[in-house]
Amino acid sequence: MRILFVTVAAMAIVWPWLPTAAAAQQSTPAGTASPPAQAEASPNDIDGQQMFATTCGFCHQDGGRAAGRGPKLSKTERSDEFIIERIKKGKMGAMPAFGSVFSDGQIIAILAYIRGLDD
Amino acid sequence: MAFHGRYLGGCAALALAAVLAASPTHAQDAAALNAEAAGNDWSTHHGTYKSYHYSGLEQINADNVKNLEVAWTHYPERATRGLQSTPLAMDGVLYYSGSYSRVYALDGATGKTLWTYAPELDEELVAKQTHSPYNRGIALGQGNLYVGTVDGRLIALNQKTGKPVWDLKLLDSKKVTVGFTGAPLVVKDMVIIGAQGGEWPGRGPIFGVDGKSGQKKWQFDTVAGTEEAMATWGNDSWRTGGGGGWMPGAYDPETNAVWWGTANPAPLYDWSGADWKKSGPRPGDNLYTTSVIALDPDTGKLKFYHQELPHDAWDFDSAVGEFVMINRADKKLVVHANKSGFVFVYDRSNAKVENVWPLVKNINFVKGIDPKTGELIGRRDLNLGKAETPLCPAIAGGISWNSGAYSPKTGLYYKIGQEWCMELTVLKTTPILEPMAQLNIGADFKLVAPPDGAARGHLDARDPVSGALKWEVNYKEPPLASVLATAGNLVFVPDAEGVVHAYSADSGKELWSHNNGMGHNAGIISYMAGGKQYIAIPAGWGSLVSDEYVALYGEPFKSMAKNTGALVVFALK
Repeated sequence: MRILFVTVAAMAIVWPWLPTAAAAQQSTPAGTASPPAQAEASPNDIDGQQMFATTCGFCHQDGGRAAGRGPKLSKTERSDEFIIERIKKGKMGAMPAFGSVFSDGQIIAILAYIRGLDD
Repeated sequence: MAFHGRYLGGCAALALAAVLAASPTHAQDAAALNAEAAGNDWSTHHGTYKSYHYSGLEQINADNVKNLEVAWTHYPERATRGLQSTPLAMDGVLYYSGSYSRVYALDGATGKTLWTYAPELDEELVAKQTHSPYNRGIALGQGNLYVGTVDGRLIALNQKTGKPVWDLKLLDSKKVTVGFTGAPLVVKDMVIIGAQGGEWPGRGPIFGVDGKSGQKKWQFDTVAGTEEAMATWGNDSWRTGGGGGWMPGAYDPETNAVWWGTANPAPLYDWSGADWKKSGPRPGDNLYTTSVIALDPDTGKLKFYHQELPHDAWDFDSAVGEFVMINRADKKLVVHANKSGFVFVYDRSNAKVENVWPLVKNINFVKGIDPKTGELIGRRDLNLGKAETPLCPAIAGGISWNSGAYSPKTGLYYKIGQEWCMELTVLKTTPILEPMAQLNIGADFKLVAPPDGAARGHLDARDPVSGALKWEVNYKEPPLASVLATAGNLVFVPDAEGVVHAYSADSGKELWSHNNGMGHNAGIISYMAGGKQYIAIPAGWGSLVSDEYVALYGEPFKSMAKNTGALVVFALK
């Protein structure tokens, strides 16, 4: 329940300044087994936890709750804008850039997952 | 398997004769490459094809090592993620690679730059890669120097001038994401290099390229590279299987076989539990992942293999580890360390298991491995959800990717063991292939201390065949660099905090140390230039394993400089 609430809350914060859903569809398709369906899906339909466990958890440990190769993400004081920008552009030598790999909807779903994390 | 064994045994003398009957220059090179000890030169990644990481030089020895001091230092440009490569030396010239596959040729006695080379890489692609932009080594042969790149190329440079000879695109890295970070291996006319892989959903190819012409001659896919192997991937999961061969293997001229270790399958962790043969993301044994394979260097055909961990469900690669080729009584053996912390001993003619022994203390992914057959006993296959107790060893392995050393003088194998575990929760994941392949992990995890104490490391001196322990040195943090043994009765260990240690090879007594000021995760070598012996050690912190140290240990890693490095070369006063 909490994750769902935070998903919606995070969407409310982030969505206005992201590209439109149509623009997101024109960008790179979402990268799962069914890319077209994912690209058309709204962030509500994307499982941010699953995406995190697929790729992000390699560095951000315990599902983002603990520091490891990457920093702890739960209860981070970084802004939504910062997190989205970091996911998109990465940090050379530390984190890959996912801006052309994940759709905006997928990135929002990951952000919502991070915001919903307990310690 | 039996057929291969008899056939190869019968052809051994012919194969050796063929090697020795090559041109005079080739024959001389072959003799040096097949020696037990590296001599004046360190001409291939593992020292010689026997993979001892052992120098026969003894100017620097246990009696005078206290007089060892820095002779010269070289600083590479753009050392993102530090230095992770093993240098080479030939005819008094030292060659090494840094991040972005930059290559340096230096006067081995003075450090004076002879030439440098910086390939133009696809920087946009590099920014999207996880394991980049480091490089772990180079190869020499045919008058060329060979280096792989993270954007999927193998490049040949003129060894004397550094000018490009050819530049071959082997991987569509924009699609598969992975490239080359490991050193190539030159065998006769062929340059052999393996792609990254493992947690990336690809097929992990190894390539053979003609050194003179730069033409690709063969490709062996470590995922489903044969019909037999394809049948071990249920539901067509071979299409996203992972694999790869990201560190260089070794060559046995008697059987004309290149031994190579392969990486784990993807996803790293799966949720099928004990039903892994029939269900889950990759049902079956998943050949030839987490295996040692023997390839014909001329054709790339598989001669024989052993899968160290059938259906590896724990990310314990066989891609790590050198291939130590030793003879015991009338047996010709090869010793290979697996990331799980177990060391496998094989018959060199057919990969039949002769023994298996554990290097580390904290192992619970299996109850054991049958030392006669290699069969896993009491597998701990994972199910969806949180594991009740931590998995040991952790994802960083009981053994990391750098090499140990073997001294034919002491008969001891010097190898770093790592003691740590991890909590994990397994989740279902789906391979991400478009527009660019992404990591497929399948779990959330966190490194923790093992049940018997703190997370730590140790250098063991053991009999390589039986595993019998002669002596051990403990470290608060596991050293991540390669180990060097020398005929001067010395063993060198560059550690994680930045200190280089020299120990007596007989007893493990520390005889000398020097602080390089930053951690080590590269290869150490010895060579001769101008009649003087040198020890070359790349320093510079930053790798996927070393990145764990801030959370595990705090200082000095929290404030240790990353993205910098130095090649520090030592000689006697």
